Amino acid sequence: MQFIDSTNFERLLKKLSGEGELFVPVTEKDTGKLHIERVEAFPLPEGMSVEGYRTVETLKGFAQLLRSTVAEYPSEELDEFEADENTLSYIVVGARACDVAAMELVDRVQIEGEFEDPFYRIRREKMFTIAADCTDCGESCFCTLLGRKPWPEKGFDLAISKVDAGYLIEAGSERGEKVISENGDLFIAPRDGQEKSRDEARAKVVAKLEKNNRDFPDATKMTEPLRKALADGLWDKESAKCVECGACTNICPTCYCFLLFDTVEGEKYRRVMSWDSCQVTGYARMAGMGNPRPRLSDRVKHRFYHKYDYLPLSHGEIFCTGCGRCIDACSAGIDMRAVFRNVMSKVAK
Amino acid sequence: MKNPYYPIDTVVEDIITETPTIKTFVLKPVRPVKFRAGQFMQLTVPGLGEAPFTPSSDPNITERMEISILKTGKVTNALHELGPGAKVGLRGPFGKGYPLEKLVGKDVLVVGGGVGLAPMRALLYALFDDPSKYRKIVIRFGAREPAELSFRRQYDEWRALAGNISLKTTIDVPHPDWSGHVGLVTTLLEPDKLEGIDIVDSYALSCGPEIMLKFVTLKLLEIGYKPPQIYLSMNRKMSCGMGKCGRCNVGHYYLCVDGPDMCYDKIKHVPNVFG
Repeated sequence: MQFIDSTNFERLLKKLSGEGELFVPVTEKDTGKLHIERVEAFPLPEGMSVEGYRTVETLKGFAQLLRSTVAEYPSEELDEFEADENTLSYIVVGARACDVAAMELVDRVQIEGEFEDPFYRIRREKMFTIAADCTDCGESCFCTLLGRKPWPEKGFDLAISKVDAGYLIEAGSERGEKVISENGDLFIAPRDGQEKSRDEARAKVVAKLEKNNRDFPDATKMTEPLRKALADGLWDKESAKCVECGACTNICPTCYCFLLFDTVEGEKYRRVMSWDSCQVTGYARMAGMGNPRPRLSDRVKHRFYHKYDYLPLSHGEIFCTGCGRCIDACSAGIDMRAVFRNVMSKVAK
Repeated sequence: MKNPYYPIDTVVEDIITETPTIKTFVLKPVRPVKFRAGQFMQLTVPGLGEAPFTPSSDPNITERMEISILKTGKVTNALHELGPGAKVGLRGPFGKGYPLEKLVGKDVLVVGGGVGLAPMRALLYALFDDPSKYRKIVIRFGAREPAELSFRRQYDEWRALAGNISLKTTIDVPHPDWSGHVGLVTTLLEPDKLEGIDIVDSYALSCGPEIMLKFVTLKLLEIGYKPPQIYLSMNRKMSCGMGKCGRCNVGHYYLCVDGPDMCYDKIKHVPNVFG
């Protein structure tokens, strides 16, 4: 572990920005929330901060673009293609534990297994992630209910913890180690007490998270109760206020569903991949109008079961890191934690 | 690098009208496509999009592929408008295909309805490679009316292939041109109509509309089949074919990688499994 002061940290970012596009969290004046913004020029934007908690935006859009062209056809090369050497690297600063963990989960779907999405993999490999500790938490944050911590332990290139007038910094990948070794003059050994003060700050955030979530059940143990509640009428109640906007899935760092559609471009055709949401009625509707989830309650329910029952079976882990964005984004006020509490009280009966 | 989203350039060589609503498209992809019976392809109508279909042709033939398609939605309506020489695209094959290795030495019951006969024909071609590998091959096909029985020009030829093959057909309601059995395909699944099949040592495979799959399953259970002996070709909307886009799930299975033919034992607990 090393220490880097704020001035040198900015120098480091400036240097890294020569290798790609640099994104940092910037505080929005009116709301105090952090948004990911691209750095156009130095000095770093006023309001840049790696304190507080997760940004409004997730990381998934860096690797799985909101909308992207995945094929142009017909082509003489058929399905052979050269990776675009000019694919920009993204240097993303201030990613939180919930988000780096979410990217590792999405990787399991898009890269691992029999098929890989080459476009996702290329963008993912070009991401350089500088993760950061949460120094606070939001009302909707619940990573601790998933047995997770508000600081990153893996899945990053570098990780920083705010202390004094700078950061404790450590590498989590070979690329991160290389950056530290190549810029040795920017770092010094941590002073006595800095690690202790980082640990104290972390403990404070954990205490606040635990206090905020004390009335909600342990989310790591929801799979079985959900299975028992599969046919329960509670889903009609829980979904009654949903307006089917799809905000919960779009803002979710682990939701990866997409749709392919084709367009005409003069003499050629283009195949486009776009984010999609299981909450909208057309998502699974087939030709001939057959739909395995015709009712809104089926779709609302599906989000919970996909993340907490199906994906643990198919991909080995709950696909929720407790970031709580779906709670913030829901105009109907659906709170996953409260739904779990209602499931528990139904199942207990 | 390979782009798994690129539709391989393919020409429609011929179109065979099977029924008033089903056409078989004879496709020649620019390079051969090797598939196992029951695996499916994503067929592209350029500029319009893709839809998933299981080929109805002999899996041993890789230069050409036949796909039999019911006119039922955006992509299939456009396909039915195409003529010979039209350019389309193919991705795949995707999915597992039928569990052929499990069928060796067993009595095999094949139940198809409507356009569900299409994937079943690829299965039959695979079984007919060497019918003696199976004890009995009992085929039961149903359609609403006589004109809707796909591939009927081939039925007699199939019956004559080997002594252990039985093929019976039925239509849902009486029709002036029909002197055969009348009733839903489930009425051909009464134990006395199954050529003395040894249910305990048999597998049943079925493809057809969801409502048919449901009643076929109930009938099979009633006559003594156990859920692990029943394979159903399930229907869900599909896009990527590779277990990534999310929409074709039945419980925790993605039909595009785990199916589309699913062992009923694996999915019987899923609510509304038949839609």
